[in-house]
Amino acid sequence: MYVIKSLPALPTLKNLSRYSAYAMALSVCAVISSSISASTASPTTGDLNQTLSSWQQIEAQGKNQDVYFYAWGGDPQINAYLQWAAEEVDDKYNINLVHVKLSDTSEAVSRVLAEKSANNNDKGSIDLIWINGANFATMSENSLLLKQWANKLPNFALTDPENNPAVNFDFGVPTNGMEAPWGQASLTFYYDSLSTNKPPTTLNELVNWTAQNPGRFSYPKPPDFLGMSFLKYALVMLHEKQDAKTGENIKAQLNLPATEQNTDIILAPLWTFLDDLHPTLWRKGDQFVQTGAHMRRLVDDTELSLAFSFSAPEIPAAVQRYDLPKSIRSYAMSDGSLSNTHFVAIPYNASHPQAAQLVANFLLSPEAQARKQTPAVWGDKTVLVQSTLDPEQQALFKTNKPHPSALPVDAIKRTVNEPHPSWVDAIMQGWQTRYGVSP
Amino acid sequence: MSKDSNNKREKKNVNSATSTGITAPYKTDLFTRTVSLSPTFLLLLLILPVLGGLLSVLLPAFSWVPALEQTTFGLQGFNDLWQTPGLIQMVALSIATGLISTLFAFVMALMVLAAFFNSVWLTRIERLLSPILVIPHAAAAIAVGFLIAPSGMFSRLISPWLSGWELAPGGMFPHDPYGISIILGLTLKELPFLLLIALGALAQPELGKKLRQQYKVALNLGYYPITAFFKAVLPVLYPFLRLPILAVLAYASASVEMPLILGPNTPPTLAVTIMQWFNDVDLNLRIKASAGALLQLALTGSLIALWLGSERAIKTCFNSTLINGKRHYADALWQKITAALTTVLIGFILLALIGLVMWSVAGFWRFPAVLPEQLVLLHFQSAFTQMGTPLFNTITIGIVSTVFAIVLTLLCLEAEQLSKKPLSKFTSFIIYLPLLVPSIAFLFGLVWLQQLVNNQTAFFNVAFTHLLFVLPYVFLSLASSYRRLDPRFAHVAASLGATPVKVFLQVKLPQLFAPLLIAIALGLAISFGQYLPTLLAGGGRIATITTEAVTLANGASRRTSAVYAIIQMILPLIGFILAWVLPKYFFKSGTR
Repeated sequence: MYVIKSLPALPTLKNLSRYSAYAMALSVCAVISSSISASTASPTTGDLNQTLSSWQQIEAQGKNQDVYFYAWGGDPQINAYLQWAAEEVDDKYNINLVHVKLSDTSEAVSRVLAEKSANNNDKGSIDLIWINGANFATMSENSLLLKQWANKLPNFALTDPENNPAVNFDFGVPTNGMEAPWGQASLTFYYDSLSTNKPPTTLNELVNWTAQNPGRFSYPKPPDFLGMSFLKYALVMLHEKQDAKTGENIKAQLNLPATEQNTDIILAPLWTFLDDLHPTLWRKGDQFVQTGAHMRRLVDDTELSLAFSFSAPEIPAAVQRYDLPKSIRSYAMSDGSLSNTHFVAIPYNASHPQAAQLVANFLLSPEAQARKQTPAVWGDKTVLVQSTLDPEQQALFKTNKPHPSALPVDAIKRTVNEPHPSWVDAIMQGWQTRYGVSP
Repeated sequence: MSKDSNNKREKKNVNSATSTGITAPYKTDLFTRTVSLSPTFLLLLLILPVLGGLLSVLLPAFSWVPALEQTTFGLQGFNDLWQTPGLIQMVALSIATGLISTLFAFVMALMVLAAFFNSVWLTRIERLLSPILVIPHAAAAIAVGFLIAPSGMFSRLISPWLSGWELAPGGMFPHDPYGISIILGLTLKELPFLLLIALGALAQPELGKKLRQQYKVALNLGYYPITAFFKAVLPVLYPFLRLPILAVLAYASASVEMPLILGPNTPPTLAVTIMQWFNDVDLNLRIKASAGALLQLALTGSLIALWLGSERAIKTCFNSTLINGKRHYADALWQKITAALTTVLIGFILLALIGLVMWSVAGFWRFPAVLPEQLVLLHFQSAFTQMGTPLFNTITIGIVSTVFAIVLTLLCLEAEQLSKKPLSKFTSFIIYLPLLVPSIAFLFGLVWLQQLVNNQTAFFNVAFTHLLFVLPYVFLSLASSYRRLDPRFAHVAASLGATPVKVFLQVKLPQLFAPLLIAIALGLAISFGQYLPTLLAGGGRIATITTEAVTLANGASRRTSAVYAIIQMILPLIGFILAWVLPKYFFKSGTR
């Protein structure tokens, strides 16, 4: 378990229970999936020759086809990266990769659902979809995704799947080979070093810091996804602290669906925490920032001194565009960074599932992953594990001197997984009734 | 003097020509048939979408949504609506911002008119304020936001030497819970519009002359200027302002852009909330949203009723004051207050525009520096690389809707002249309909209708929806020039054997070249500025400069939103400059 190795001793003890829960979930899912079919064994342990030959079959069938990749198209950097990927798969397999730009991934979900209700079971318009979290949970519940393909991609082995729950669970929901990991995002913080020189590094310190620097911190108003991420981070940390005191394991319930019985008791610590925090926030917590971008602008205005982002590379990029001052520094919370993996999935009715698998495998290749991680290209963290790569491949990931405002390499000491997607709704509704209307 | 009497003679001729019934007989052909049908078409075009839209909101509001498998009538939507936390605050915020901003804009417009009536300053002030007229609401809101934010221009000008602020202070603006920022933005934006309408009315030769003469008589009788305006001019002028004021009131109480950029979010105004519900992925929220749209309709309706009621009350109360013979009411003081307020206002606008330009080229610009550390063109460059599609959409949609509006307007006005019957009061009122019914109330219904009829071409849907808002302005702008055309040219041409279509194309249109260009520029400007119709009819798939600007204003970069706001201003400005320059080179004789 490479994640645990890097942890300090005390939190490791605290979290043993957490990881044992994982191990249990993993083994349960392993038992279930192996009972479904013998071929679920991961390619690293399975018969290499057999895997290769079936892969060669997919290669043969997938060449010379179109792949309609439905992916959020709101970022020019990401769009340019997909443009590059399209040229590469065109060279390699003569695949015509078309990026269908979505403004919201849920559009694609409802499209597949509509196709299913229209009995279109093998000529679907979507071949590949960029997805995670609630959208994946919905598609998985409604059996809208192709199963047991992602774990057979040759490059999937490079993610060290045996020891890396991040590529097998999506917001706590087992992926069952329905989606191939593509990249990782973590909640990282940044601060204006001219306004504050000692930023808080734990949730506890954050409360003290806002008390000493009233009005200099805020978070985006739910249901904004970044604001929700902050609340989830706080919720997980509060329960870790509480569990360490009481010795119970209430936090484990966050990995299970929210129910009417447990919602109130699980969320109670969060509301107490927010009741204390809000009076020390920007505008005394009467008004909230709209989005992460709005929060970033207020940091530039020096109204805020501390903020956070789910995409660490956007911070140095903003400094380069003059949208943030040069005095900005990025860091990660030492008590844990909320992390999630984003994936690509194939709808069950895709017209070109083999070609889509070729594209997904290419997106997982060290070459594509290294390019994606380059700050100037996209800066999205790779899902590959360095120890599985040969020295030549590892060299691809070496970057030049990082920007002073960028997140230092290895700054993320400990990652915290997303709670089950159903908690998003529970938190959102509770927040709206408590804080949606300022007194 | 001689010119005046000339005019008078002309007028008389016109009157005698029409009253004696000397008409150029014309043969009915395709053109005249098209022309005579066009007023009906215009009415249908304006009434059907608005009423259809309202109806399509009414049914879902009572829970009748076949698409969601709800086919029984019920009050679920209203129950949900009443249970919305903060509904009272939303409604109060909408009422307060709508009413107060309209009242401010109206009172300011009257004070400027009264204090500077008959002075060269009146046209100068109008000219200074007129750039605001072409600025879309979103851009104006962005500029105002730059000024009043805690890190804004005002705060920078007094920091740190006076205030001691090294970091931006905590503040209230924008997004203050009382809606003061919204009121400020709306007032600034609507004041020039009301002034322009008033000046337009005064520019009508007969009315303007009569009012100026009455004003002079009042002055000669010893009335002080401001008092003379309120007693001798306003009672005649006000009826011309009524409909525009009501349109302003309706817009202000239901607008989305200004409250979205300058307003609070805990909770926002009713209109903003409704928009968020309609746009939610949870389709069941649409029932609640439709109920909310009806509430918005009632809210705007009661505000209009309140305005008309107070109008009556004021009329009854002050009728006697008109003839009480009192010559002045602290006129000198009011004159000074108005001059001071106008100066502040213009200074405010200039500062906002300067701030906007500076942000668009600013490098690092840390609070409390008054000037940016370096000036860069990077923001323009990167905006231009991404602006292609939105710019193309903005311009093509503007052109399509404006051309259609111009053609239809011309045909209607021609119909009026061919049939020798002016448009009925009802028709004139209907032309204002899309401006009086809050767009948030009927647009969603309209979008549903459009989805039923045609859900493939978002471009067409957007252009059609823009047409509803472009048409009224184009019509109002063209009507007076068209009606003032000297009919003798047409008579002469007809008596020489020219067909109506030839008279229309070769005699009338060249004479109208200048007003036509103005109307086109106005139509384009209106289309460029539309946010909600573009967003809704396009289902978010059609991006224009305005939708991009509003999206950017609430986040992202100050610098990029400044660039977009500037582009938003420049586009209509180019139109108006062309409308002003081209007539100097073409059809010169027609613009005499």
